[in-house]
Amino acid sequence: MARKRGRGMAACWYGIARTATIDRAAAWAEIDDGGSAKIVTGVTEIGEGILTVLAQIAAHEIGVKPEHVVIGDNDTARAPEAAHAGASRQTYMIGNVVALASREARKRLVDVMAEMWDVSAETIHTGNGEIWAENTNHRISMGEAVACAKNRGVVPIGSATFGTDTTGIADGKGGDGSGRPWQAYVFGCQVAEVEVDTITGEVQVLAVWAAHDVGRAVNPQGVEGQIEGGIVQAIGQGLMEDYQLKDGHTSTSGFAKYILPTSLDVPRVNSIIIEDPDPIGPLGVKGIGEPAMVPTIPAVMNAIYDAVGVRVFDLPATPEKILLAMREKARREAATSMQAAE
Amino acid sequence: MLICDEYVTPGTLAEAFAAMERHRGRYRVVAGCTDTLPWAREGRAGDVEIPVLIDVSKIPELNERQVGDKRVRLGAATPIQRFLDDAALGRAMPAMPRCAVWFADDQIRAQATLGGNVVNASPAADATPCLEAHDAVVELASAKGKRNMALREFITGPGKTQLAEGELVTGFDCDAFPGYGGSFEKVGHRRSLVISVVCLAVMVKLDRDGLTIEDTRLAIAGIRPVPRRLREIEDHLRGKRLTGALLEEAADMPLDLVQSRTRQEYRRDVVRGFLVRGLIAAAKRAGASPDALTQELEAAYG
Amino acid sequence: MVDIRLNATINGRKVSRDAKPHLRLLDFLRDDLNLTGNKEGCGAGECGTCSVFVDGVLMKSCLMPVAKAQGATVDTIESLAKSGELSVLQKAFHKAGASQCGYCIPGMVMAATAALRANPFADREEIKERLGGNICRCTGYQKIFDAVELARDVQNGRLPSTALLETDTADGDVIGKSVRRIDAPSKVSGRLKYAGDMIMPGMLHVQVLRSPHAHARIVSIDTSAALAIAGVESVITSADVPGKDGFGVFVHDQPIMARDKVRYVGEAVAAVAAEDALTAKRAVAAIKVVYEPLAPVFDPDEAMREGAAIVHDYAPDNITKHIPIRVGDVEAGFAESDLVIEENYSTQAIEHAYLEPEAGLAYIDHDDVVTVVSPSQNITHHRHMLARIIAKPISKVRFIMSPVGGGFGGKEDMIYQGMLALLAMKTMRPVRLVYTREESIISTAKRHPSRTTLRMGVTRDGRIKALAMRMVCDGGAYGLSTEGVMRKAAILAAGPYNIPNVRIDTFGIYTNNTPSGAFRSFGALQTQFATESHLDIIAERLGLDPFEIRRINAMRDGATTHTKQKLGSVSLMRALDAAEQASNWEAGAPTVRGPTRGDLGHDDVRPSVTLGARFAADDKQEAAE
Repeated sequence: MARKRGRGMAACWYGIARTATIDRAAAWAEIDDGGSAKIVTGVTEIGEGILTVLAQIAAHEIGVKPEHVVIGDNDTARAPEAAHAGASRQTYMIGNVVALASREARKRLVDVMAEMWDVSAETIHTGNGEIWAENTNHRISMGEAVACAKNRGVVPIGSATFGTDTTGIADGKGGDGSGRPWQAYVFGCQVAEVEVDTITGEVQVLAVWAAHDVGRAVNPQGVEGQIEGGIVQAIGQGLMEDYQLKDGHTSTSGFAKYILPTSLDVPRVNSIIIEDPDPIGPLGVKGIGEPAMVPTIPAVMNAIYDAVGVRVFDLPATPEKILLAMREKARREAATSMQAAE
Repeated sequence: MLICDEYVTPGTLAEAFAAMERHRGRYRVVAGCTDTLPWAREGRAGDVEIPVLIDVSKIPELNERQVGDKRVRLGAATPIQRFLDDAALGRAMPAMPRCAVWFADDQIRAQATLGGNVVNASPAADATPCLEAHDAVVELASAKGKRNMALREFITGPGKTQLAEGELVTGFDCDAFPGYGGSFEKVGHRRSLVISVVCLAVMVKLDRDGLTIEDTRLAIAGIRPVPRRLREIEDHLRGKRLTGALLEEAADMPLDLVQSRTRQEYRRDVVRGFLVRGLIAAAKRAGASPDALTQELEAAYG
Repeated sequence: MVDIRLNATINGRKVSRDAKPHLRLLDFLRDDLNLTGNKEGCGAGECGTCSVFVDGVLMKSCLMPVAKAQGATVDTIESLAKSGELSVLQKAFHKAGASQCGYCIPGMVMAATAALRANPFADREEIKERLGGNICRCTGYQKIFDAVELARDVQNGRLPSTALLETDTADGDVIGKSVRRIDAPSKVSGRLKYAGDMIMPGMLHVQVLRSPHAHARIVSIDTSAALAIAGVESVITSADVPGKDGFGVFVHDQPIMARDKVRYVGEAVAAVAAEDALTAKRAVAAIKVVYEPLAPVFDPDEAMREGAAIVHDYAPDNITKHIPIRVGDVEAGFAESDLVIEENYSTQAIEHAYLEPEAGLAYIDHDDVVTVVSPSQNITHHRHMLARIIAKPISKVRFIMSPVGGGFGGKEDMIYQGMLALLAMKTMRPVRLVYTREESIISTAKRHPSRTTLRMGVTRDGRIKALAMRMVCDGGAYGLSTEGVMRKAAILAAGPYNIPNVRIDTFGIYTNNTPSGAFRSFGALQTQFATESHLDIIAERLGLDPFEIRRINAMRDGATTHTKQKLGSVSLMRALDAAEQASNWEAGAPTVRGPTRGDLGHDDVRPSVTLGARFAADDKQEAAE
């Protein structure tokens, strides 16, 4: 058979938010005129979909629709600090702090309405742009509620800060590395199915099954997007990408030589989202951006081995590396069987 | 960055030659520009200042196309995409659509020209081995007149051709091979926008029963300074009964084809496999009988 | 220069105006007509962010001199939703979650539009083939294929147009629902302005002079000829830095432009602000720098040896960071193992290749606040560092994070914002810098290349008794995130497994190579590649299924990590079970079972690609004949 298939798997773990340091983020929330929500925080979107996640979280906490959330962000002079966009920390750090700020804003509004309606605040509910008190006829729109609050001199705002209970690790001279680098860990596992063309040495990754714990999926489609994108970046590193330097000069300064996976080089990705809620943060969310990329390469290398019996120890597994390793293996086996015959 | 002071788009050959004469020593001829613009960037030529660019892609003679049963004549400005869009052309040059689908991408194919691919004379050019398999003749013209030259003489080395100062490639005159099955095998490091490490053009004509090879054409590139026609293999196959053993025999002919400085062993292995795989694919499209091309053979090389 | 009088129909409107002869169609659309929806991702036809229709045919406008558009009809991404109503395809991209950073998306939407025009019934494989000229770095393409299939089916009436609408959240619970992305409409329509799309009145254009040497002393820099060029407003070097120079995520070892010596090829040496980019480019070429080459060091193992060239005086051993992890006694662990396996692994440098090359604007606002607008992943820290570098109070420095066209860690470094701030302060005018793809590749951080030796000891029943790993990473010329990468790599190196004896050492090393920095998966990718490959090697030797060997060693609830942290709930077993079940994994030891496996080729596996999906119909027809 010219095309040989095989499967491999690998597991991973990863820490969420900044490593071995205390992470922190802040946000402001306001329930605005007309019953929309206004969220302000320091650092958001780099493409992962955090704006939508924050809108969902604010909508959920305040009781409005996601499309009625406005997010002001990303300006060190106009928004509270939220640190940086990286370390798989956005949903965890900023999602949680936006939830806390939203809760405070909602509480301000609910307290006003409880007083007005003469009910206890615990009996008041919000959702879908409405606010109501259980077992009563009191039910008005959030916009009307905001007007009520403002008539009583209250602007329903909230603010919050969220920090992690983490430490550095003992990595100084003679240290053993002990410490509490993260408060949330995630785990994952991927299976890859590959086809190796034994005439060219090309590897096609036909499918990846990716099971990842994300704590709680705020937006499942967004989680899938992170998993799919991470896997394809990993396949790029595993099979083709190679920034080459000779005496400090690169020969791969453009996309003709530094090649990336195209639409024809990617597997079908089957994502399985696992929800093991984080017990510390208010939402139970964790993160997915980076962990999604970790098990792919070893799963693919294990699958190549399963298909053709050669293992690549030095990335990337280019067609010539695979083919030459196969030839080498065949030569070795021929020599062994010859010896056996003698 | 490519910087020019003037961009000239002549409407006729005469205007083109006049512009070339007028700007002698200060111009560069361009057509699709899909290589010229990336060339003038860091990592290749860097910023390049060329006083005058002369764009010949609008000249009518360079856009002609005559598709006959025996001959195909294509203007030099023919975009590669035409091999996919023009069914008659695809029938006359049956490996070419298979080559075109591997050529850069849908968009660059609409811009890149056949003439540009030849004049660039890249050892990894995809279209040139196909043309070579058609015994293409390069048509050249200058203010002084016209001349023709076989493609294999025209390309003399990587980036080198016999194009003279003041001369343009106007078109290609090729043998037509209607009724042949075509294939194009190519490998690089990915599957789109990919530069060939090895590429092979194959055409096969079988008898009515799909059992005997009446004729075949093979040409290979990516493995040596210039594309090479594989006449030895063609001669070996012509007139013989199509069997897996025959194809393997042909692939094992000791031709020492690989002259690249890098990846030699790899390329040698691929060439052998491609010869069998390409012949099978072309024979299949030429209507090979299942008696000749067994499923086992297809699985072993397909 | 002989300008071209260009007459064309662009997005349905007649355009008649003069254009410089060297412009590409992309420049004309973006700079002259301010149609910034289509982007420049690479300038070499290799990415597709610039794809536009020319007389109805999709082309890469970075490969087309503007003169070729003479008399043509050109349609850009802006043409698809002219009235504000998104096209079916754009709505499908919105619905399917097909945009992430959004930078490739205008070109991708154009390519998808072309694909469905070419074949309104194209299947998924043909769609893939027709999108082959457009690179996406974020999505992994899956949701893009989904979107095109969705649009196809809606257009063909196989699905109702309601399939494009928002997920129903009427029950009020919006968490856990795939709500459509709120930023997608502006991305699929090309309306979102990235830093390189922004213009300000009176704006100057910046170009950077870069080092041609990997290691050299700067003897002198003469900027006089550059300053003499008409249109040049300012030329800066490290001598113009008013405060304490130096940035970096952990150690502030990198000056905003090379100071006294250059440490890698591509390092910024000087920067020019001029009325237009071409003038700035010519001024850069006119700067004269005299270098005295120094012995370089390119190999991290060599760099650690006595007598190697020293990259930074403060680190005479060239070690940027060493991270140790110690648990138990590894030698004792190996002694009680039945099988000990040692292998070497290596990983290469890779480039983030976000489709948006670095770009930024800086200006001084009405309150004298130095303001930098750029796709920075860390505006908080950049503000701190810049304030010190330009000797201003933090309140007088403002960073605005423009939409990020892909980051992946590569935009955490303050690699060019300092130059922008300085030039804005010098000229008191807005300044803008847009990197070329090549500049982005040669001068910004890479993923750390690594060399790892891994030794693992197990008992016959598959229990890991000891793990020793030593990884040496090439950190390149500057520290950037190396310290953090080494730390995360080490902490996670042994995998989520209970191992009583562990010795891990990761080393980040200075060399004269392109700096390495933050990259998605931050060191954990390198170390876990080794560990997870190794487990399969051992599983084969022991005759264990790969899932089984991992389960035997898996951390469970309440486990203690290798940094001696006690965990609460551990979801590893759930992940293993889920992947095993979803893939219908056939159990068995990894003994090259591929040829005999029974679990291959299910419905959730894509077909093998052989180019020519568009011929499939023809081939079938031929076969029928």
